[in-house]
Amino acid sequence: MSTDDSTPERGQPRRPGRRRATRWLVPGTAVAGGVAYLAAGLRAGDPAFAFGGLAVMLATAAAFVLLARRSELVAGLLDRRDERINAIDRDASTFAGMTLVCAVLAAFVWEIAHGRDGQPFAALGALGAVAYVAALAVLRLRR
Amino acid sequence: MRNTVRELRTRQGISQAELAVAMGVSRQTVNAIETGRYLPSLPLAIALARHFGLTVEEVFHVDG
Repeated sequence: MSTDDSTPERGQPRRPGRRRATRWLVPGTAVAGGVAYLAAGLRAGDPAFAFGGLAVMLATAAAFVLLARRSELVAGLLDRRDERINAIDRDASTFAGMTLVCAVLAAFVWEIAHGRDGQPFAALGALGAVAYVAALAVLRLRR
Repeated sequence: MRNTVRELRTRQGISQAELAVAMGVSRQTVNAIETGRYLPSLPLAIALARHFGLTVEEVFHVDG
């Protein structure tokens, strides 16, 4: 259960301004990612990646906004008000994270087995382990 | 865990969508609670019980 102060009391509508801001967080992040791709691509002299990346991320942002009108799941992912959809999002994120960890470990073992140093998978695995331990420490203090 | 949300809601003559708006959740979440697929958090369970003028124990039953 979230202890986020921005979560309204049950049965009480969230303040409209904050709700609007939350709703635009995911599309805004996608647009920011697209701008970052554009800047990185142009700096590297790769306009195909720059504009292609920007287009993909703008399309992703637009898809979120448009699908939110037709899908309660997508709308819930954007405005973060529904505890069930938040729990689904949390479990899906955990599954994706565990999949990524398994892939990194498998790739690390593969690299070592072929006589290489295991990079960058060793560094990614270490980062994941440190992040997990840090999260345990912080969450233990908060709950 | 069994609950009587559907009976209480229909007795009150409101739709899942109307109850969802009152609770600040999606209609799908109300449906998931009614069918027992989703067990709500304590704050949401209390809000549902208060909405129907009952206690949590009168809405949610551990014996089911």
